[in-house]
Amino acid sequence: MLGKIISLILLTALCIGKLNAQTGDASQTFNIRGFGTVGLARSSSDHAEFVRDLSQTSGLKGGQWSGRIDSILGLQGNWQLSKEFELVGQVVSRLHYDRSHNPELMWAFAKWEPDARLSLRAGRIGADFMMLADSRLVGYSYLPARPSSDFFGPLFFSHFDGVDLSMTLPVGDDLVRGKLFAGRTQEKAGGVIGLWDTSGSPLGGIVLDYLTGPWQFRANAARIRFSSDMNITFLTNPLRLTGVPSAIAVADALTIKDTETRYYSFGVVYDQGPLQVQGMLNRIRHGTSFFANSHAGYLLAGYRFGSVTPFAGVSWWKTQARSFAAGFPDVERFTASGLTDRKTLSLGARWDLRTNMALKFQWDAVRGDAASKFGYARTDEAWNGKTNVLSIVLDFVF
Amino acid sequence: MRRLRILILCCLFAWPPLAQADMVLVANPQSGIERLNRDDVVNIFMGRYRLLASGITAEPIDLADDTGLRARFYRALVNKSLAEINAYWARLVFSGKTRPPRVLDSVDAALQAVISNPGALAYLERSQIDKNVRVVFELGD
Repeated sequence: MLGKIISLILLTALCIGKLNAQTGDASQTFNIRGFGTVGLARSSSDHAEFVRDLSQTSGLKGGQWSGRIDSILGLQGNWQLSKEFELVGQVVSRLHYDRSHNPELMWAFAKWEPDARLSLRAGRIGADFMMLADSRLVGYSYLPARPSSDFFGPLFFSHFDGVDLSMTLPVGDDLVRGKLFAGRTQEKAGGVIGLWDTSGSPLGGIVLDYLTGPWQFRANAARIRFSSDMNITFLTNPLRLTGVPSAIAVADALTIKDTETRYYSFGVVYDQGPLQVQGMLNRIRHGTSFFANSHAGYLLAGYRFGSVTPFAGVSWWKTQARSFAAGFPDVERFTASGLTDRKTLSLGARWDLRTNMALKFQWDAVRGDAASKFGYARTDEAWNGKTNVLSIVLDFVF
Repeated sequence: MRRLRILILCCLFAWPPLAQADMVLVANPQSGIERLNRDDVVNIFMGRYRLLASGITAEPIDLADDTGLRARFYRALVNKSLAEINAYWARLVFSGKTRPPRVLDSVDAALQAVISNPGALAYLERSQIDKNVRVVFELGD
């Protein structure tokens, strides 16, 4: 369905493009741009695979240098058909749930801006669940080697098919911006229990920004109602077969289908001359007991000296364990793999070595307890919750 | 001591923001705008909000990097390097949110764009002003 819509949009664009070319309309432009990261990283622990976020099902371990989790290439076309109307398409190659780097259609939308206050986008658009979430893959746009895995780790949605409506209004010398979005997901995640296809799950949300001088404040709230279950019948079927009401209740509580997950976040950015400071907090609340509720946050600060910007950051991610009725050790053991309580200290530097190209070095000290298993591709029994991650990445745009 | 004074004077004159001529922002006289303040200019050139008080949509113009004026403009406006400005736009462009200013190769091309378009805004050195455009902001403001 989406393919047909995109084809229709492109065909329309082609017709209008030809029309404008014939009439010599100078307001029409077409640009191809790109971004990418060539990244090498290593994680010291032999007992857990470090990943950027839950969309990755294989990661780094054992001190082996790998370009797997950070290497990305994106291409974007912007077709400005008139002052009010634009078509945007973006294709990205990155590490997928299926361990491939197959190109993925990230954005494909039409944007209508009747004036400078209003913007309506329809098609495949970025999932703006948290501040900066829709530019997570564009390494050149931020200071660290990768967005905080503690903060963005649980967010495996990058895009959805739907609409968003933004409005910006001045308040004195300040600006207030609001955005509403709604649509359906088209993404899959993988894990130790197999593929989870969330396609078709309805989602919606609201974003509020307040911009004053060098400050930006943002509040986000979003929700998604999952239209499919993970394949956990190996866990729930035996419970249901017992016929015991308390066991059936536990099986029901583990169901994901038709439950709602809510994401709340608040962020502050201070960006004044050579100084950049960001702080963000999030809370995730699940309607299913399959996932543990969590909260996370990070603080990142950098100061530019010439072309080099050293930075330091702290982040944390903590889940709250669900309590089940006693007597279901298999369930307890399984849901324990969805828990984490970890903190990360990050130190690094970004060197803008030439126009549109930046080299970054980063050291992350991830510190958690042995029970912190969530947020890694997999862990083994010897995992003690601690690893050190070294990263060297080259980010570029063109 | 005399050598030290000469060294300090040389440094002062070699320091671009002190030694170079001042820059101004110009608009079309039909824009309906007499003056802009610094917040307005930041909002327009950083893609935050581009509606002028007269109701016309502002169309900012950037000059190519090799003119040297782009780096001086953003340094004076927001104290940012071009690398930081490019990183800022990478975030907005690749999330499909806002368009960066249109880039023109020369001051003459920018002046022509301002003269022919009521919403266009361009930065240049004061000595490059044409009588057909209006100064709406001085970078020293």
